Amino acid sequence: MYSILGVIGTIIIGFIVSLWLPGLERKLIHARVQQRIGPPISSPGIMAPLKFFFKQTIMPYSPLPRLYNSLPLIGLLSVLFIFLFTVPETYQLGAFASIVAIVGFLKIEEVIYVFMGSLSKSVMSLRMPFPDLAKGAKHPNVQRSFLEDISAMRAFRLIAFGSFPLYIALFVPAVISGSISLGDIVAYQQVHGPILFSAAGVIGAIVFFIGYMILLNEYPFVILKAKADVIEGPYMEYAAKWRALVYIMRGFLMFTLATLFSVLFLGVPPSIFTWGILVNILVAVLFPMLMASFSAFAPIFTFKQFYPVTFGATILGVVALLAAFI
Amino acid sequence: MDKNVIETEITMGTVHSAAIEPYRVRLFVEDEIVKDAEITVGVNHRGVERIMEGLPVEKANSLTEKICGICSGVHLWNSVLVAEKGLEVEIPERASYIRIIVAELERIHSHLLYLAHGNEVLGHETFSMRLFYIRETVMELLRIIGGNRVQYGVPIIGGIRPRAELDEMKVQKIREGIDYIRGKVKEFADRFTSDPMIMSRITGVCPLNRKDALRLAVTGPTLRATGVEFDTRKEMECYDPFEFDVITQDDGDVKSNLLVRVFEIFESVKIIKQALKNLPEGAVVDRSWEMQDTDITKSYVEAPRGTLYHSYALEDGRVRNVVIRTPSIANIGAMQYALIGHHITDAQLGIVQCDPCFTCTDRAIEIIKRR
Amino acid sequence: MGIKSYARARAIHAMLVYTGGCNGCDIEIVNAVFSPKYDAEQYKIFLTWNPREADVLIVTGPVTKQNKKPLKEIYKAIPEPKLVIAAGACALMGGVYKNIHGDIPSEEIAGPVEEIIPVDAKIPGCAVRPEDVLAGAVSALPKLLEAK
Repeated sequence: MYSILGVIGTIIIGFIVSLWLPGLERKLIHARVQQRIGPPISSPGIMAPLKFFFKQTIMPYSPLPRLYNSLPLIGLLSVLFIFLFTVPETYQLGAFASIVAIVGFLKIEEVIYVFMGSLSKSVMSLRMPFPDLAKGAKHPNVQRSFLEDISAMRAFRLIAFGSFPLYIALFVPAVISGSISLGDIVAYQQVHGPILFSAAGVIGAIVFFIGYMILLNEYPFVILKAKADVIEGPYMEYAAKWRALVYIMRGFLMFTLATLFSVLFLGVPPSIFTWGILVNILVAVLFPMLMASFSAFAPIFTFKQFYPVTFGATILGVVALLAAFI
Repeated sequence: MDKNVIETEITMGTVHSAAIEPYRVRLFVEDEIVKDAEITVGVNHRGVERIMEGLPVEKANSLTEKICGICSGVHLWNSVLVAEKGLEVEIPERASYIRIIVAELERIHSHLLYLAHGNEVLGHETFSMRLFYIRETVMELLRIIGGNRVQYGVPIIGGIRPRAELDEMKVQKIREGIDYIRGKVKEFADRFTSDPMIMSRITGVCPLNRKDALRLAVTGPTLRATGVEFDTRKEMECYDPFEFDVITQDDGDVKSNLLVRVFEIFESVKIIKQALKNLPEGAVVDRSWEMQDTDITKSYVEAPRGTLYHSYALEDGRVRNVVIRTPSIANIGAMQYALIGHHITDAQLGIVQCDPCFTCTDRAIEIIKRR
Repeated sequence: MGIKSYARARAIHAMLVYTGGCNGCDIEIVNAVFSPKYDAEQYKIFLTWNPREADVLIVTGPVTKQNKKPLKEIYKAIPEPKLVIAAGACALMGGVYKNIHGDIPSEEIAGPVEEIIPVDAKIPGCAVRPEDVLAGAVSALPKLLEAK
């Protein structure tokens, strides 16, 4: 009973903190770098989703509107599960509270983008009424696709290579502590001190951070929803409360990944019964701020730049793994 | 090019995040690489040339200003020049200098807008905002001179509007303003060219070589970025007293295009400084001209985007046979050509690098089939 | 003020549709949002390019015939409650293109905006000034906040 309350309490705290993260990123870093005042901290993270809840619910233009609408919920649930398994009260679940399970749930997170992209048929792309076909074309009989289809293809590619850095970084603590169970990793660090303070840990943390940026599709790794071509990519057709869920999902993913970092590299699991949760919150606040200071100075990477960066990060991750073995 | 490899067609526009103006781009892609591109203009067609037909010449002139909100001053200037050439009006020297100051300020603002928009398409919000901030200074200067931020309407037949006369205070403000812009743009250019992420994004992207540029009849800074030394300003009489260089770059890619604009801002600052230093005394408008019928008269000026052509005839004080050729119409071919073989995310960048102004272009569309 | 209108007032997503005209208004509005000098984000106005996300539709230009259908479609795609702001002389009355002509009037203008979609606020000016854009957006807000 006591532990269930603890789990629920931790989730609520995490949820509340996660709502502030987009605002912190926007106001404290982006606006400051751009020498302007910027929005209030509460606006992008809290008020925007709240506003979307009060908007009229409309059916998205999609071949499977219900499935399309349920995707952010699935994403949110998978993020919630990841967060759940980082809470110490659930470590007795064994197989679930392990890195393999977390990798599995992160995969769901990535795969939903493919579905979102291929199910969205926005007015901003092919449905825009324009007498194209009447005017003929240089290549008349080509199949025409929506902008979101491009996004779906990109999401598919990102599954193939984009998430390598994060996954490799996840396994660095596992190699060091000799177990894939989160409970064992935390216990190891309580004895030997945080993994971050070893050579392998530092490299692993850097790789983790790059993976974190790629998974969150933040600039410069924003090709999935690049404004220069696909406008908003997979999210195009979400309106009203479903869009609110998309906002919340992103904020919560930010928090969860930061928590994962503090569990794996600092050995501090989130729990409202210990002061350690302050460390979690601190990491969760620092990570988006650090990410924002990189993204404020970066252009969009096309695949020409994306491949080398992920490749380099992956190599770095392998180096960290090797260092961990030694 | 093999037509069979084209996998799918992507359309962007008419409303799109990277293209603020309404136009349509159809990209024929294979594996996210553009194999062919087709730009459709005409969405924005308002028929300015047609509604100008038969208007009194002063009214028609002020209408040319509404062709484009970015290079409004230069359209008006050229239109006024046509009338002055036809009616053989001599304008006071001071008026000519002030016209040039305004035109060069406009070039600075247009190039800064180009750089800001280019950075926005590149995904670099911070630089975009900083450039917009620098651009505010020019807008303020134009407002001080002409009284409005966008449509300032300085030239009139016979000189300039007396409102736009430069007094000591205005001269001082312009001096301070262009010094500030020069410093800031220099800082920006240093920072921009030393950023490895940006350089890898723009170097070698969507290049246009010299031969293709000449074949496609490209004009303006886009032509100069490919290494051709051509600037209409060198052929204009009113620019004779000023010493300035024609900026060229070699590669014709996005980087060269951006750099050409940066250096042209410096050249414009140089011209404005010379003009302010040697500003002749005297009246700014000569109203002693008389209306008469003229043949079709032509005039070319260097707009921020390239050579701009206006021509019309006068009949009972009304304009006839208006023809306007804007630089962007020449550059559309280059835009389509430069995209081939590049990634879709670079496609909008390749279009933006030619500094498109489709609002200028969409007045009358004339399709010429070339062999 | 209930939580509904409080939330609406603290996050306003504006979308810009440019339907012809001379680029002037358009750039001034992007300027109003983008330039740090005016910075609409400090008044909680965010720029978006997706009609599904937008609350406020800012329309500039006289609406050429080719642009009429896209504008209608985009308007339809915005979920209620929504506001339409027509900015600039062209959007208000067709501007010089509709009203000034010599021998032949222009046949390309389907506008002004009012004839195509309902307009809630009008911002005059040729071109509109960024200050006016911000003021216009604010003046139209009560309608958005009080909507059901």
